[in-house]
Amino acid sequence: MSTPVSYLDNTGDDPAVRARLVVGDNDFHSVTEKVCGIVEQPKPPKFWWVAFAASSSLTLVLFACIGYLVTTGIGVWGLQVPVGWGYAIVNFVFWVGIGHAGTLISAILFLLRQRWRTSINRFAEAMTIFAVVCAGIFPGIHVGRIWFAYWLFPIPNQMSMWPNFRSPLLWDVFAVGTYATVSLLFWYMGMIPDLASIRDRATTKLRFYIYGVLSLGWRSSNRHWHRFEFAYLLLASLATPLVLSVHSVVSFDFAVSIMPGWHTTIFPPYFVAGAIFSGFAMVVTLIIPTRKFFGLEEIITARHLENMAKIMLATGMMVGLAYSTEFFVAWYSGNTYEAFTFLNRAFGPYAWAYWTMVTCNVLVPQIFWFRKLRNKTLVLWVASILINVGMWFERFVIVVSSLSRDYLPTSWGYYRPTAIDVLTFVGSFGLFFTLFLLFVRFLPMVGMAEVKGVMPQAHLDRPGHRGHGDYHGDIAGVEVV
Amino acid sequence: MSTENTTLKDGAALYGYLVAFDKVDELLVAAAKVRDAGYKKWDAHTPFVIHGLDAAMGVKKTVLPYIVFLAGLTGTAAGILLQWWTNAVDYPFLISGKPLFSLPANIPVAFETTILFAAISALVGMLALNGLPQLSHPLFSSRSFKRVTDDRFFISIEARDPLFDTAKTRELLESVSDQPVEEIEDLS
Amino acid sequence: MPPMKNNNETGLTYWQSLDELASTPEFQEAVQREFPGDDWDRLPPATRRQFLKVMGASLAMAGLTACRWPKEEIVPFAHRPEGRTPGVPEHFATSMELGGIALGMLVTSFDGRPIKAEGNRLHPDSLGALTAIAQADILQLYDPDRSRRLLLREGGQQYVKGWSDFEAVAAEYFAGDGTGVAVLTGGSSSPTRAMVRDQFLKAHPEAGWYEYEPISRDNEREGTRLVFGTPLRAQPKVDAAGVIACFDADPLFDHPSSLRLAREFAAARHPETGAGARLFVTESSFSLTGVRADHRVAVPSSRVPVVLARVAHLLVAEHHLELPAAAAGYAGAAGQEISEQEIDFAKLLAADLAGHRGSGVILVGPRQEPAVHAFAAVLNQVLGSTLEYTADPDPDRPSHIEAIGELAAAMASGSVKTLLILGGNPAYDAPADLQFKDHLANVPLSIHLSLYDDETSQHCTWHLPQAHGLEAWGDGAAWDGTLTMRQPLIAPLYDGRSASEVLALAAGLRVTSGYELVRENLRESASAVDFEGFWRRILHDGTVEGTAWDIVQPRLDPGRLAVAVDGLRSLLDADLPSADRPEVVLTADSRIWDGRFANNGWLQELPEALTKVTWDNALLVSPATARELRIDDGEIVEIESEGATIETPVFVLPGQARASMTLALGYGRMAAGQVGNEVGVDAYRLRTTKAPHVISGATVRGTGRSYSLATTQDHFAIDTSGFKERNRRVGELVREASLDAYLANPEVFHDHEHYPPLISLWKDHEYEGEQWGMAIDLNTCIGCNACVVACQAENNIPVVGREQVLNQREMQWIRLDRYFKTEPGLGSDEIDNAEVVFQPMTCVHCENAPCEQVCPVAATQHTTDGLNAMIYNRCVGTRYCSNNCPFKVRRFNFFNYHKDLAETSKMQFNPEVTVRARGVMEKCTFCVQRIEAVRLPARNDNRPIADGEIVPACAQTCPTQAITFGNLNDPKSLVSKSREEKRSYAMLAELNIRPRAHYLGRLSNRADDAGPDARGVPHGEAESHGKETA
Repeated sequence: MSTPVSYLDNTGDDPAVRARLVVGDNDFHSVTEKVCGIVEQPKPPKFWWVAFAASSSLTLVLFACIGYLVTTGIGVWGLQVPVGWGYAIVNFVFWVGIGHAGTLISAILFLLRQRWRTSINRFAEAMTIFAVVCAGIFPGIHVGRIWFAYWLFPIPNQMSMWPNFRSPLLWDVFAVGTYATVSLLFWYMGMIPDLASIRDRATTKLRFYIYGVLSLGWRSSNRHWHRFEFAYLLLASLATPLVLSVHSVVSFDFAVSIMPGWHTTIFPPYFVAGAIFSGFAMVVTLIIPTRKFFGLEEIITARHLENMAKIMLATGMMVGLAYSTEFFVAWYSGNTYEAFTFLNRAFGPYAWAYWTMVTCNVLVPQIFWFRKLRNKTLVLWVASILINVGMWFERFVIVVSSLSRDYLPTSWGYYRPTAIDVLTFVGSFGLFFTLFLLFVRFLPMVGMAEVKGVMPQAHLDRPGHRGHGDYHGDIAGVEVV
Repeated sequence: MSTENTTLKDGAALYGYLVAFDKVDELLVAAAKVRDAGYKKWDAHTPFVIHGLDAAMGVKKTVLPYIVFLAGLTGTAAGILLQWWTNAVDYPFLISGKPLFSLPANIPVAFETTILFAAISALVGMLALNGLPQLSHPLFSSRSFKRVTDDRFFISIEARDPLFDTAKTRELLESVSDQPVEEIEDLS
Repeated sequence: MPPMKNNNETGLTYWQSLDELASTPEFQEAVQREFPGDDWDRLPPATRRQFLKVMGASLAMAGLTACRWPKEEIVPFAHRPEGRTPGVPEHFATSMELGGIALGMLVTSFDGRPIKAEGNRLHPDSLGALTAIAQADILQLYDPDRSRRLLLREGGQQYVKGWSDFEAVAAEYFAGDGTGVAVLTGGSSSPTRAMVRDQFLKAHPEAGWYEYEPISRDNEREGTRLVFGTPLRAQPKVDAAGVIACFDADPLFDHPSSLRLAREFAAARHPETGAGARLFVTESSFSLTGVRADHRVAVPSSRVPVVLARVAHLLVAEHHLELPAAAAGYAGAAGQEISEQEIDFAKLLAADLAGHRGSGVILVGPRQEPAVHAFAAVLNQVLGSTLEYTADPDPDRPSHIEAIGELAAAMASGSVKTLLILGGNPAYDAPADLQFKDHLANVPLSIHLSLYDDETSQHCTWHLPQAHGLEAWGDGAAWDGTLTMRQPLIAPLYDGRSASEVLALAAGLRVTSGYELVRENLRESASAVDFEGFWRRILHDGTVEGTAWDIVQPRLDPGRLAVAVDGLRSLLDADLPSADRPEVVLTADSRIWDGRFANNGWLQELPEALTKVTWDNALLVSPATARELRIDDGEIVEIESEGATIETPVFVLPGQARASMTLALGYGRMAAGQVGNEVGVDAYRLRTTKAPHVISGATVRGTGRSYSLATTQDHFAIDTSGFKERNRRVGELVREASLDAYLANPEVFHDHEHYPPLISLWKDHEYEGEQWGMAIDLNTCIGCNACVVACQAENNIPVVGREQVLNQREMQWIRLDRYFKTEPGLGSDEIDNAEVVFQPMTCVHCENAPCEQVCPVAATQHTTDGLNAMIYNRCVGTRYCSNNCPFKVRRFNFFNYHKDLAETSKMQFNPEVTVRARGVMEKCTFCVQRIEAVRLPARNDNRPIADGEIVPACAQTCPTQAITFGNLNDPKSLVSKSREEKRSYAMLAELNIRPRAHYLGRLSNRADDAGPDARGVPHGEAESHGKETA
């Protein structure tokens, strides 16, 4: 086994060696200590307070903007004809996309037996849920008569009228609604055993009762584990097609329309790839500071970061491929409107947005080809932030630049966001981080039960494998019935 | 290892015996022994899933997948019916010259409802089959049992088990673990 | 100060509230403010109820006028007046007078509220159509900024008075023989007014009488005086014209008879049945006629005579035209330096005129010097043009400019002691060199009757509130003299009186009520046996048939001819304008006219036809000149002329003549009202008695500062790729072909269509029963904006203001897309000249509407009769439909645009149309309320709906009848027939959206793309075509 530079470095490309998923001399107990310790400390560290103060005040800005919007009208945004959708929809797609990484890590990597997922999936799922919360706000407030937004749900109302199921927006309602629900279930279920850990270590009555209730009386019974494992497997296999469907449906909002630049069949895969891309970028952006501040380097290891960098490289190139395909099709289809739309994207009034997008999403990830760079935490972190920026602009370019110049030149226009637009967007980050900080403070941010399952002490180095926990092999002297 | 709480208070009903293990392997071997002894009402408790344990204990495969499958089908049907009834039957309207009911437009929603129903049934089904939530349980009275969610492994045999015999069962457990056997008092 | 007493019953209850206010400090303050009491919310809560009471009153009034009996008392609507059913709209024939010419209208009144003005079919100048201005006038009626009380300004103080107060003093003001008394009025064609004037002058023989209109056709009048000895009124006819030559003239829009002329022109241009009417236009700036021209040459206004002279020269030299000796005597014209372009134009025109002797006509615009008109008159006489003359109603009247000049002189000399100003706003719109405002200060006693307490009122001793045209009795004459009646549709809301009434008061007449005056005057003139019957009939018709003036056959007066020719020659010798010494042409604004409609939101927000600018006037500059002067589009420039300097933003307009700049009058008002104040720049400050129309040798300097003009199109400077693409698309969207190409190959309009067959994935929906559809003829649309205002009035469309227009949130349901056509290959920075095409664009009601399927709440869906319906109360406002609309004809209520609307303005609302809430999408409905209004009774009588029974507002008011509406399932309906036409095409058909509104291709009829003998062909072809289709 190649001796690592630092005991923390478990990166390496020797195929003969299985990289350790948890470094340092940790046993089951020390993992429990590390993870529960964060929740159990009487008062959070100073940096937490600083971050929380900042993010919660941003959240207030968000609610102030929404209040102003509701009382005054959609006109406080920069929207107009032809550009009837702007920041709100861009932010919605952006946040939904962010969410996807969480589900991908917890569900898809699980099905693919990617054991390294165990230490980051809890974290990523939490991020999913908070991102979906932020995403959910925007479709709600972007309608002209917010107080009637509930008409989008198939609930009987005074008009005895039903929503129109041919509309992609309605598909959105179901897709995002289902996505939010399933993610929540998945997240919560995975957390039950860890909540039980906190319960069992509880030193105060309050904590004992709260976590006691939350853990539903989990007693680690193996007969329970057996069903738990199946449920987890089923949820994972349900969440996998779901996560792919959600961004496909979101992309239908555009693909099903007849606007040049929107009416594109490659949107579903293109959007899903982009979503995973942006999601991983956001996970990295969040996890790097978190593991540092909470001293989780031994559990969320350099290897985890490297793997995510690789995924970003891959998805980033998929997105790049999509960009070029769009141009090719625009030219090849011979549809002059389509052709102009893309010419206009690259060289029209919104060229600045387009090239920002290309730089951040296609060029920046290329640095991950180099091991040295992708293993530099700071480089990785900065790159991940740039990718987030780029992915936001991708949605901006799709939504705004396509609308701003459609069929009749007489109705061409130019969309400018107002201060309210921008503040609402910034505010949504406030909400996101607020929820996130509350999460790391009060909930186990690493799936202890799962991490323990992949530790050497659980005899992992044997061949053969089944199901959850990633334990390999059968036991000496035990004949299986 | 504390020896207190190993003997039952007078007059209290016995829930069963509980014995701890430090190592996964010990647990697995012990589990197999208990299984072979023919006990039915017993269980193993571990901080995380241990593979092979199901086999070692002879746990039968759960019916959960079938429940989830049926729930999924229900979801599909519900999704299609909802769209067909609302848009084509109860309040039909002419939209873009399209047919009142056409499957292609209804697939996304039907798909989502399928997933939704199935997912909910997976969690609820799992909890139901496990008899959770159950906030109080005799085992929680054992202090050492608190480490079951940390780094300890346990086997418990219930007094309700037909083969249960205060002496024999204790003997069996002592034979598989070097740690004291606890008597767990039942909830009165 | 005595609280205002008010004897007029109608107003009493209403103004009671103000009486209470009168003592309060707020009220004092309100009076001191420019527009006392315009703030309706300040009135006590009782107001609204009292207001409704007044409504009842006006209602009763209207009801009574409906049964033609005057009664000055109030009948609460509780007991229903004779012969009227609440909720059933009634139509009254009345008229509107603008610049001394009356235009017949038919006004819809709803429970006593006039809500919409349409044209009067029986009126010769209307023929059922109505101009944008005349339609918008109804908004003025309800304008909350209108003056509501008499004001007396003395020693810096301002007192609120009642009519009784004025009547008390009027007697002494107008005592004696009228020495020192002067009366200034606007132009008027009203016989009653004339009668009262004569009475007044009889009573006060020494009084001075002056008539001033800032915008008039006096030059034409003076021109005829030059050649015929006496002023005549030209009555052009173009329906039978083969050639129409316009020299700075805009017969299709800027003419008292423009509605009729446009109708005739449209008929003449119909490819199958029309006479062809090839249109030649020479002008400095695009007029709507210029847009429609087959041959157009843009030359500075001061160059127009040169082109005319050249045409005449060619006619004589090459086409053997016999000019009268004196006229033939001029040789100078031929010698003038003249551009290639101008020569080609002149040659083609001369040839065509020579080829159409007896069926051609030469028209000269009102801004050209009398000499030019005189010379054109000569040519028309010689060519035997389709132009007739009637006598001038008031031959001895001096020209308006002279009149105001004389008055100003008299005021300066101090000889005017009492000045009565009836209407008008001379302090604002008199030529600057007269310093009318200053002289007004020298007049001891000045009285101004006006709708608003405006610039003039504020410099007068007395301000009297004027009754709006729809509040007062009156009459007038059409351009051809046809007697036109005016009856009130509502009792004066603001206690105003008409000019005739005030004049009668000043004349000390026994009767001063407008009603009595009109009847009295009629009694004298009309020799009807049964007067009441006659009176009933003419009020019902609105006009009196056969009262047009007789056609006169004028003789050329050789003596005077020489004078005309000399005048022309001096014009020809004038030196050319250049970029550094450009000419600035002052025109009437196509929307707010001379400024009197400045406070009218509909007109302010009406996009100017060519520039699409709203809420502003801008200096139109040709691209080449702009480059030469290094002026950018939207830059603020400084215009200096004769010491006067104004700053105005520039709009660079292709097709504008080089070195000639155009600026519209009427803007920059300071006392117009909340809407019109400080909108645009005041061009009157450049206007002088010597150069009222064309200022030569001005200097124009860029300031480097820029200003964003609120345009409804091309909202931002276009980049190269966008520019190229736009030019590429125009041809497909707005299809155009030459008449000859079309007659040779009727499929020419579909030659460019190539897209795969349009197949549906599913079985198409069957549309049974009535299926509404529309056809819009681009060949006859002249872009006059009448439909836009009609739609706004009919459908309660809000005015959103400049800021919102800048944000591209204008609300008009129908818009006139304007495209420039330039020679291919030119870059956006090389353009100078261009052709322009208009395309009316509104919801085309696609059968496979893209908007419908994307609405999550089904707020827009298809009705059984094929309308793409918008369900306002279901709409949640996702704006998805608008995004998915390829025509972007949907409009969104970004705010509650009706929030700050005054109660009066709400009176104009059409009760048949929902007032849309905030956050709701809206769009053209094909006037579904009009469809229902016909369908229900038809269904009750169990009869089919006849073709043409349903007419949407836009189609109703279209002067050229370019819009046809009807049942597509009825093969005999007009709209089905026009669908049959080869010119018919659907926009963006390749999207398989199946628009219900089709367009008919535009035809040009250029002389040079017709073969040598082709010019004759259209007619022959036309007849045969006519037969075939018939």
